[in-house]
Amino acid sequence: MSTAAATRAAAARTPRRRRRGGGGERVAPYVFLAPFIFLFLVFLVLPIIVALYTSFFQTQRSGLGFGGGDGQKFVWFDNYALAFSNPGFIESFGRVLLFGAVQVPVMLAFSLVLALLFDSAVVRWKRFFQLSVFLPYAVPSVVAALIWGFLYQPRVSPIVEGLTSIGVPVNFLAPGTVLWSIANVAVWSVVGVNMIILFSSLQTVPREMYEAARIDGAGELRMALQIKLPMILPALILTMLFSVIGTLQLFNEPMTMRSVTSNISGDYTPNMAVFSATTLGGDINLGSAMAIVIGLVTFVLSVIVSVLSNRKRGSAK
Amino acid sequence: MALTSKRSGALSALALTTVSALLLTGCASGGDAPSAEAGPVTLEFWGWAPGLETAVELWNEENPNTQIEFFRMTGDDGAKIPAAIDAGTAPDVVQMSVHSIPGHIINNRLTDISEYTEGLEEQFTASSWKGVSYNDGVYAIPQDSGPTGLMYRKDLFEQHGVEVPTTWDEYLDAARALKEADPELHIAQFSPNETGLWLETVWQNEGTWYGIDGDAWTVGIDNEASQEVAEVWQTLLDEDLVKVVDMWTPEYWAEVNAGTIATINYAAWFPGLLEESAGDLAGKWAVAPSPRYDGLDTAGETGGSVDVIPEGTEHVEQAVEFTTWLNSSPEALEILITEGGLFPSALTGLESESLLQPEEYFGGQVINEVFAGEATKVPDTWVEGPSFDLAQDQLKDAFAQVANGKLTFAEALTQVQESTVQDLKDMGLNVK
Repeated sequence: MSTAAATRAAAARTPRRRRRGGGGERVAPYVFLAPFIFLFLVFLVLPIIVALYTSFFQTQRSGLGFGGGDGQKFVWFDNYALAFSNPGFIESFGRVLLFGAVQVPVMLAFSLVLALLFDSAVVRWKRFFQLSVFLPYAVPSVVAALIWGFLYQPRVSPIVEGLTSIGVPVNFLAPGTVLWSIANVAVWSVVGVNMIILFSSLQTVPREMYEAARIDGAGELRMALQIKLPMILPALILTMLFSVIGTLQLFNEPMTMRSVTSNISGDYTPNMAVFSATTLGGDINLGSAMAIVIGLVTFVLSVIVSVLSNRKRGSAK
Repeated sequence: MALTSKRSGALSALALTTVSALLLTGCASGGDAPSAEAGPVTLEFWGWAPGLETAVELWNEENPNTQIEFFRMTGDDGAKIPAAIDAGTAPDVVQMSVHSIPGHIINNRLTDISEYTEGLEEQFTASSWKGVSYNDGVYAIPQDSGPTGLMYRKDLFEQHGVEVPTTWDEYLDAARALKEADPELHIAQFSPNETGLWLETVWQNEGTWYGIDGDAWTVGIDNEASQEVAEVWQTLLDEDLVKVVDMWTPEYWAEVNAGTIATINYAAWFPGLLEESAGDLAGKWAVAPSPRYDGLDTAGETGGSVDVIPEGTEHVEQAVEFTTWLNSSPEALEILITEGGLFPSALTGLESESLLQPEEYFGGQVINEVFAGEATKVPDTWVEGPSFDLAQDQLKDAFAQVANGKLTFAEALTQVQESTVQDLKDMGLNVK
């Protein structure tokens, strides 16, 4: 009786212990993830919730606004209506989309060509050149914009003075050209890092494929186009996605270059418009609504880019 | 079941840590415990003017019961202030631009100190006191100001035989004469990014961007005084008498150094910068009173800085006592003028011997005699308004279009007038 009970108890205990052990394994990853989850919640989810919350309120004032009496009033989507009725804010989206439509392909083409060149056997001193291309990425964007701003300015820029002296009058800071001058800074800054991503992806392509291709008589160009490019397509799409997001977040370069030219308005890019509404206008509610709009547009664009690229990848197979 | 409760336990633990972390930060920054005793109090003071350290040291020696802890603001520190006041963690005294006062008042960020400032009015220039008082309230103590004077290239005027203009009409004639003598030479620069150059002249012409009418704000960005200023500028621009170049840029200083800009009609604090950035031109500059408008003997002003007592400060009386001493006592002004190169708002400061010293850079001229004389002639018509920063930025953008020939000055003013009225309405304020 006692032995039977003991056996039964032991039998019952074993699976229970096993289950408990399994539970422990399930907890471990969450313990390791906890710091991330904590930071994710505090610095990403919470701000979004707070922004969403504030975007539905407006500060109530009366008369001159002196002497207080102000409170927050729930106004539904009034701030969003205000954001959309602000022509500067709407135009800023058009501007960055135009910017992205030009800057992203140009920058990716540069990165891709460089990555393919570094991967091929024809380039010597690879490390040196790779570092040279990558180095601008180590320069903070504000500093980069300052340096380029200097190079763009008449009277102080050797480039402008040089071109003018040989009869090519240029104005890098004119209303029509300043956007592309900013694009140039952006390209200069990020070509290197995208090149590295694409290059690392190229390194993972099995070398046997090249051998096989060579035996079949393929040249470097044909290999690049028909083997390397399809193999690194996922990395290319990743860099494209990052670039599209980066375009919509454009802030540092135009904000910095604003100190050398008045042809960059205070609401030149969507993020600058938010900055202007909150710091200059002191309207945190409107700024929150604008920020939510930017977030949504970025999200939608990212989805479009990934859906389109998935379809393309599918058809490529 | 067991698993669910464990998971929710972990989640609530996480939530708890989040909350306690937030609480902790809240506590740490809001930690000043109120002391009811009349013992020595310590006030925190944030400012940027050079020389404030020395002045604070002197005060601390003489006033053991009110000790000041000074923190030097650099760069973006000013941007932290509104959030700090809202969170109740702001310093007790803060230096800020006079233009930003109303914006903070309507957000309940500043203490009305009028009960401690009786009779103080007479100690400051009329225009600077106007900038800190609204209706019956006083919201700051003026610190420095920027009365306008005409800095001009004495050598170039002499070389081309052109008289230094005393009215704006003469200014236009002088501009044409200089241009004729040397096509490269412009009488001034037009800088879309620096509204101070514009604002000072509107102020001189007894204009103002804002006004108060009963319990409503008025906006005067395109009023008559402004449009008169616009006319002069439009003529200068149309006849190519001004060099279009953004101020403060390396390009701007290159133009100044190259001698293509003959006059700079700007604030009393500008000569120091001029000396710093155009050292080679020593002895070639001189200062005269700004050209006048018909029938007016008034001077311009760009506005200066003030010291405010943020809402939530406990020792308001002591804070006002200190700021009053700092900005109106001869010994404090002496320090701020000699060490900080500050142009005081207090009348005693304008008579200070250390202010009225000959300047080597200006060929030994006592330039501050001119500026001090101008300071007392600044009309007290200018009223600061709650959306100043925004209006200023919109004006910059509109002026950029003027520079590109897409708008005229008059149109730019009308455009910014409209957007400023709308901005005030969006803030929920009464606008007439």
